[in-house]
Amino acid sequence: MTLLTVNNLTVEFPTPDGSVQAVRETSFQLSAGETLAIVGESGSGKTVTNLALMGLIPKRTANISGSAIFETQDGPVDLLSIDRDELRKYRGRDIAMIFQDPMSALHPFYTIGDQIIEAHQVHNKVNIKVSKVRTIELLEMVGIQGAATRLNSYPHQFSGGMRQRVMIAMALVNNPSLLIADEPTTALDVTVQAQIIKLLDDLSKEFKMAMILITHDMGVVAGAADRVNVMYAGRIVESAEVRDLYANPLMPYTQGLLASVPRMDRPHTNRLSTIPGQPPSMIALPDGCSFNPRCGRKSEVSGSRCEEQMPELTPRGNQHFARCFIGESS
Amino acid sequence: MAKTVIAYVSRRLTVSLLILFAASFAVYVIFAFLPFDPAALTCGKNCNDPGIIEANRHRLGYDLPFFTQYFLFLKGLFFGRSFGEGAALINCPAPALGYSFQEHGCVTTLIGEALPVTFSLAIGAIVMWLALGIGLGILAARFRGRIVDRLSTIFVLIGTSLPTFLTGLLLVVFVVIRWRLIPFPSGNYTSFFENPFEWAQILLLPWLTLAFAYAALYTRFVRSSVIDTSNEDYIRTARAKGLSEGVILGKHTLRAALAPIATMAGLDFAGLLGGAILTESVFNLPGLGRLAISAVTKYDLPIIVATTLLAAFIVVIMNLIVDILYAYIDPRVRVS
Amino acid sequence: MARVKKSTSIAIVAVLAAAVIVGGLAKMSSSGSAKGGTITYLTHSEAFTHADPNRNYTGQHIAWFGSFMHRTLTAYARAEGSAGSAVVADLATDTGRSSNGNKTWEFTLRDGVTFEDGSAITCEDIKYGVSRTFATDVITDGPTYAIGMLDIPSAADGSSVYKGPYATKDNDTAAYDKAVTCSEDNKTITFNLKRAVGDFNYTTTYLSFGPVPKAKDTGDAYDMAPVSSGPYKIEKYKAKDEMILVRNDKWNKSSDPIRNAFPDRIVVRFGLAEEVRDQLVLSDSDKNSMSLDAILPTNLPTVFDDAGKPKDAFATRAINVYDPYVTYSAVNVKKLPCLDIRKAIYYARDYAGLMQISGGAAFGGDPADGVIKPLMGLDYAKVTGLEEFKPEGNAAAAKKYMDAAKSACPDVYAKATDPKRGVSFDFADTDTNKKAAAIWIDSMKKNAGITMKFNFIESGSYYAVVLDQTKQGDLSRAGWAPDWANASTVIPELFTETGGFPMSQNWNDPAYKAFKAKSDAALAEPDRTKQGKMWAELNQYAMDQMWVIPGVFSKTQEVWGSGLGGVYFWEPQGAPSFGDIYIK
Repeated sequence: MTLLTVNNLTVEFPTPDGSVQAVRETSFQLSAGETLAIVGESGSGKTVTNLALMGLIPKRTANISGSAIFETQDGPVDLLSIDRDELRKYRGRDIAMIFQDPMSALHPFYTIGDQIIEAHQVHNKVNIKVSKVRTIELLEMVGIQGAATRLNSYPHQFSGGMRQRVMIAMALVNNPSLLIADEPTTALDVTVQAQIIKLLDDLSKEFKMAMILITHDMGVVAGAADRVNVMYAGRIVESAEVRDLYANPLMPYTQGLLASVPRMDRPHTNRLSTIPGQPPSMIALPDGCSFNPRCGRKSEVSGSRCEEQMPELTPRGNQHFARCFIGESS
Repeated sequence: MAKTVIAYVSRRLTVSLLILFAASFAVYVIFAFLPFDPAALTCGKNCNDPGIIEANRHRLGYDLPFFTQYFLFLKGLFFGRSFGEGAALINCPAPALGYSFQEHGCVTTLIGEALPVTFSLAIGAIVMWLALGIGLGILAARFRGRIVDRLSTIFVLIGTSLPTFLTGLLLVVFVVIRWRLIPFPSGNYTSFFENPFEWAQILLLPWLTLAFAYAALYTRFVRSSVIDTSNEDYIRTARAKGLSEGVILGKHTLRAALAPIATMAGLDFAGLLGGAILTESVFNLPGLGRLAISAVTKYDLPIIVATTLLAAFIVVIMNLIVDILYAYIDPRVRVS
Repeated sequence: MARVKKSTSIAIVAVLAAAVIVGGLAKMSSSGSAKGGTITYLTHSEAFTHADPNRNYTGQHIAWFGSFMHRTLTAYARAEGSAGSAVVADLATDTGRSSNGNKTWEFTLRDGVTFEDGSAITCEDIKYGVSRTFATDVITDGPTYAIGMLDIPSAADGSSVYKGPYATKDNDTAAYDKAVTCSEDNKTITFNLKRAVGDFNYTTTYLSFGPVPKAKDTGDAYDMAPVSSGPYKIEKYKAKDEMILVRNDKWNKSSDPIRNAFPDRIVVRFGLAEEVRDQLVLSDSDKNSMSLDAILPTNLPTVFDDAGKPKDAFATRAINVYDPYVTYSAVNVKKLPCLDIRKAIYYARDYAGLMQISGGAAFGGDPADGVIKPLMGLDYAKVTGLEEFKPEGNAAAAKKYMDAAKSACPDVYAKATDPKRGVSFDFADTDTNKKAAAIWIDSMKKNAGITMKFNFIESGSYYAVVLDQTKQGDLSRAGWAPDWANASTVIPELFTETGGFPMSQNWNDPAYKAFKAKSDAALAEPDRTKQGKMWAELNQYAMDQMWVIPGVFSKTQEVWGSGLGGVYFWEPQGAPSFGDIYIK
């Protein structure tokens, strides 16, 4: 079942220096229980896309257009067009989000128990005791020992990994059908990272919960995602099932990303490969393909098409899409 | 949690007591070694007779060794103290802080009369300025860039620029004398317990004078604190949970944004309790500020010592209260 | 007369409007229509310096308490102009009878004079009152004429052998009993003086020659709760708050021809901020009020025009006249024993700047050349040797004397020019004085290189502090007026150690012995004209030694509420005619 259909999402921030198009005409779909990874560099638009879906971008600061049809418990709604008050009903209940830095994402003055109970109470008119039971249930589920006593602990009394578990518990307390995880492991130790990703993976399977996993770490993608959207300069430049993407990256940017992941099975004297250049300024985007100034394979395209025309996201078979003139059947 | 708080409080209490002890000793040392003779100051104009000076010196115990004097002073704090003997016996009950010849009274009594005045002034002012400052600061932050915010900026500018004595004078001259909106008080102070209405009427303009200045500072601070806190990640999390803006502001943002106010307000309050000298002068309130200043110009040593000690005492106590309050607000502090 | 109070006032009003208050007010005496109401006096001071009759010494306080509470043997006439300087009988039946070449004086008390509790005032009460002056350790700051005049021997150190009514040791009470005696019927008092005093009945106008009931004498505390013999008694007296006087129902108008007792109640409000006090009077907020202090110079232009005349709006409630005072800076000769430095200070001073902040010469008065004012007549002669005086300060002259001081008195020079020590100056704590201080500091530094440090003292306690010889600074602001029209009440008072106001402490000066001898001779001189010349000579000498830095032959201004009538300048005390003020 299709859970979320995003169509032509555009997010534009007017600034005194010009208009920043953080997300441009992005469309994708998500099925129930599916884990979609959105990959890209900083500024690619991956976070903004999801903030827009959650309604966390203040209306005054941005122009948002497009549609995002989401299947809530009460039926389908367009997340981008409904009233903010109505969106609040679903936020935290049908869609939940966890963030990058769990230390700053949790209120330092309240116990974790209070914060999770609050998340439950917002959407459930029940006695506090009920919420408390549910909270303990979730804390145990995310692997926190002695949950009943740890309810009264404060965020600063937990380690980084534990805090992220708390965040996850808080996000899942109302059994959302979609969890958006914005770089959930970036601020954590490598050893803890794997645990958290595995936890997320297990939970999503257990509760048949769809997940959008935002990351710049290709290793994380491989471990948890079903599908991958690669974003660059506000657009999706490649989209495929995870295996397919790794096996057959079509867009030169994706190729560069994959190539830059250090590999255990290569001699360690090899130098790390990088993608030359910088991501473009979102105010002064180059004409044509946004990646073209850094693309090493421009020569494979006839003429100066890459510099003049923006390629479309075209299907390349096997549910694999790419936005590149290379390999496109003219 | 309660246990850690109790442990924290008892630790701080012990330290505070030590500080007070040290402060009293320091004050006493300073005044004991001042270049002029306290016994001579008790004497009248034609006090050329050394006999009289010596008699007074003996009567007041200034001829005893330093540490004995200090010990008697401490003893007086707990048990009261007598000066002189026979018909001229003066008895000051505990906590005795000395006797002032110029004001004809036990210093503790004099302070006891002045303190409620200053306290009334401070408490009314702080209630007003907190209400106004916090309220306006929140509004300015919430409606940032709009009319409310711009008006609050003007208010802040005027309030921080106008000195209190000028504000006070303007209020008295116009509101009371020229426009007769409030009658000129018939006395300089009425106790709350005697007549609360008159008490409030006399203190209204002084409260406004102080509140105006402090509210401006607090508006500015609260505004920027609320704006900064609103950008914190945990506010974004709260929003992601689906909480309403009202709850986010009231429960999440404010608790964090206003936490430093507890410290600021506590210390400002302590400072005021030491005596709001300018305001008390303009409005003729017989508080600690007036008492201290006139004692200084008249060389009234016992009062000077006592008011210094009292100010130190108030600061130490308020620091303690503020720290405890802050530990209650911010759990991260409790660990240390 | 008394030292200057910052708030002397002169008023000439001659309107007797009537306001009859009907009903509710009992005990209205027959003298009619100006009776009743409450008059409020406003002041910046925290309290009256002294309410004790033996300790009152400023003209204003003597006038105030003398009009309302403290009767004396004789008093000045309640009249405008020089008629006010005549002596009339108060508690006594006449203005005293002298004998023995003016060395013995006798007064008989009237019938029906009582204290506020109804007990009769007797000779013993007067005798007791006068005796308190001798207890100089407790009864401080009052006039010491009794000590100087009564025939009681002195001890080796110069103090009297009689120590007052409180001392039990080494006290020759017998000597006092001989000097002051009471008749059998306890109604006639006799004073035996050690020298001839032709105008002793002027001396007895002082409140310190009034009655004090021995049983109610509380020593130092009497200052806050004196017993009244006059038309009013104290209902409440609290420092920094107010004093309320209500009618003394035991007072008999028939025994008191000089007091009117017009208002029913008199209130004094203490501790007012100066600007507030002025605004209350200027805006006529309480029509029946009057200030006890001088008006702030910044407010003078509101009331007066540039020439010093009251503007139309204030025509009937403001005046600007010469008062009897000379203001000056008393030099503590003990602490500043260097004549050159004293002269340097005089020449370096920016007199014009100081006059400016007092409102200018139209209000301030004329530069003084000594302590005797020209209107003294016989006793005044222009002082020579001050020709280098320039109103804006004479830097060249100042430098000349500073250079001389460097070699003549290096210690004092070092102190005066040391930024950390400098010369200390006592001033009463008022806004105007703070501005004056700035001008002093500036001109001293600029013209003489002297550092001046100011000590501001609460105005109500100013004299109590500076008259204490241990507390007095190097310089102290002061003012003096003759107690009556004879410089015998100026020169000896200011410049001898038995004087009532010896702030110069000049008896340490080597030339003092000769000076004292000349002063004593002048006191005894019967030929008034000759005496006048002798006083002028002594004034010149004091200026040659610069024992004071002469200030201003001053003027004073007064403003009062439009509801008050009977306000005029009462010359003898240099104060308003308190006793004659009524509500129109």
